[in-house]
Amino acid sequence: MQGVIVAIAAFVLAIGSVPARAADDVVIGALYQMTGPNGQVGNDAKAAMETAADIINGNHNVPMLLGKGGGLSNLGGAKVRVIFADHQGDPQKARAEAERLITQEHVVALIGSYQSATAATVSQVADRYEVPFMVAESSSPSLNQRGLKWFFRTSPHDMMFTQAMFDFYRDIGAKTGRKVRSVVLFHEDTIFGTDSSNAQKQMAEAAGIKVAADIRYRGNSPSLSAEVQQIKAADADVVMPTSYTSDAILLMRGMHDLGYAPKAIMAQSAGFAEQSLIDAVGPLMEGVMSRSAFALDAVKARPAIPAVNALFRARSNKDLNDNTGREITALIVLADAINRAGSTDEEKIRQALIATDVPGDQTIMPWQGIKFDNTGQNIAATPVIQQIKDGKYHTIYPFDVAAEEAVWNVGK
Amino acid sequence: MVAPSPSPQPPHARGGGEESVTLTILLQVAVGGLLMGLIYALVAAGLSLIFGLMDVVNFAHGELLMLGMYATYVVWLATGLDPLLLLIPVAIALFAVGVAIYHLLIARALSVRFNRGMVQIFVTFGLAILLRGAAQFAFGSDFKSVSTSLLAGHTIDLGGVFVPLPQLAAGIVSLIAFGALLAVSRTEFGRALEATREDREAVALIGIDRDRIFALGWGLGAAAVGIAGVMLATFYYVSPNVGANFALIAYVTVALGGFGSLFGALVAGLLIGLVEALTALLFEPSLKQVGMFAIYLAVLMFRPRGLFGTL
Repeated sequence: MQGVIVAIAAFVLAIGSVPARAADDVVIGALYQMTGPNGQVGNDAKAAMETAADIINGNHNVPMLLGKGGGLSNLGGAKVRVIFADHQGDPQKARAEAERLITQEHVVALIGSYQSATAATVSQVADRYEVPFMVAESSSPSLNQRGLKWFFRTSPHDMMFTQAMFDFYRDIGAKTGRKVRSVVLFHEDTIFGTDSSNAQKQMAEAAGIKVAADIRYRGNSPSLSAEVQQIKAADADVVMPTSYTSDAILLMRGMHDLGYAPKAIMAQSAGFAEQSLIDAVGPLMEGVMSRSAFALDAVKARPAIPAVNALFRARSNKDLNDNTGREITALIVLADAINRAGSTDEEKIRQALIATDVPGDQTIMPWQGIKFDNTGQNIAATPVIQQIKDGKYHTIYPFDVAAEEAVWNVGK
Repeated sequence: MVAPSPSPQPPHARGGGEESVTLTILLQVAVGGLLMGLIYALVAAGLSLIFGLMDVVNFAHGELLMLGMYATYVVWLATGLDPLLLLIPVAIALFAVGVAIYHLLIARALSVRFNRGMVQIFVTFGLAILLRGAAQFAFGSDFKSVSTSLLAGHTIDLGGVFVPLPQLAAGIVSLIAFGALLAVSRTEFGRALEATREDREAVALIGIDRDRIFALGWGLGAAAVGIAGVMLATFYYVSPNVGANFALIAYVTVALGGFGSLFGALVAGLLIGLVEALTALLFEPSLKQVGMFAIYLAVLMFRPRGLFGTL
């Protein structure tokens, strides 16, 4: 009898100790470089992702997708939780960390990872384990051309960005009568720089613009003066750098040291989007142009920007830029897909991602929207061209969304 | 002749869009390479001193450079003092850091009974990782810059060859520092260093306190790299990992010049700076380190003790 009572008591205790299940957190793994030469970008990405998670989970009531907050409604108000892994900019470490996040932390999806070289290996791991990988900002065009099923990218890629650059050259040339006749390409030597310069070479040839020099350099060098000398000797109309932050600092200072001021600089963003560069180099940045996926000044068309920027500023002490704007967007789109899937089953999430169709005005990006093609690329992402005036980037192209008139010194 | 604004291009032949290498361009790149080489040499001098003295490869040498740069940045930020005025204070501070590292870590590492080589390697390597992490923790990973100093942003135009003043000053300071180090080597202390380097077991017999010599050697090596850090801060960016960019080149410089030879470090630094720059110009910039590593391999094969090494 006593045994039966004990058994019943144990049974009741066991049932009682199973709590009324509040929704579990939805865990997403984010891979970024947190230490090392590009650690600054990774730490900003962490602030961006945490801002996005706060918007989704809290109740900030921002006028955008999932901006109402309160967690993921179709999953019982489940909160989104992002855990971060440091890949140190090394593709092999990125691979290892992606595996760890999937097999040990049991994340339902991956997001990342800035350097295209790391995105390449992470996407392979994601495909092998059949876990969705949302690329927030890695822009090498080859990333979505490898037949991967679990790869998704909200950001435009460098073919789209470079197309915007050459469309700008064509239109500003027509508008001012001063066309671009020659460019010099200056790119770092990983997949980001190589793919970018290939795109630029291809489009220059198609537009009849001469490539006066194509300089491939090694990142994080103690000095870039020999390379900058070659830029100066090429004497092209536009210098087109594809650089991370540290090299961008050496490039801008190096050109000044050699007494060379190019007529125009058109950057492939990355390091050129970073406030550190603007702080380090100061007035030398005036007039520098860059492609961008994000326009901080598009407030009229994207009213969510001020609220999101304020939340981000509170965490990071900086304004949103091309990189962090894309990171916030990517996490929200991923969370929205998980919400629409109504489950943390990876295949259901993947189907929901494929079905994504978000109008641009539900985001903070100046894009037409978010719609993935069959390679996982967002084809509704429309980049802009921006130019620095008084230490800040302003949108100058396309002309109908421009906030400022372009300062165009080519041919003067 | 100080020209902060751009000057017109020197005339030279140009065919079909290919840049031809004129004498001016060659000189420009060579000057840049030599000035950078003087910095490599100064960084290597400290390393060579420490290694020559006690057979300890300081894997945290790049991080000592980073500390020197951050010290300069922090004091400049707080007081607005020009980095040139901070040369002596930072050198003294880094001297103290070097002595502290010796007493707290290296002395203990050297006194273990087993696997001394491994322990010493791991101690300095671990120190490097600790310093990098501490710097990132204290300052964040953003790139910092000493943006306003007496020389920053100024360039002299010497007949078409542009020499940026911060790098020129760094080269001059490096030469002065080498002069000072060579002068020290002629003093009583310097000869004690040399004696300890030659036979560290025997020096106790002639009344040299080996422990004190080692500590002072570490201090001197750290001070040398601290001076390099101050000058670098005037034109290079400051970040927790900046040491890594220079450390590898420093090891190659020391090996090329000869372990323990200060003069070797100077010559090797100049050679490496020059070869690196010319390789970038005449071949392919992304291969610019190939030139210097090729020379290093050649030296290893034909003269393993380095150009001026005596070990």
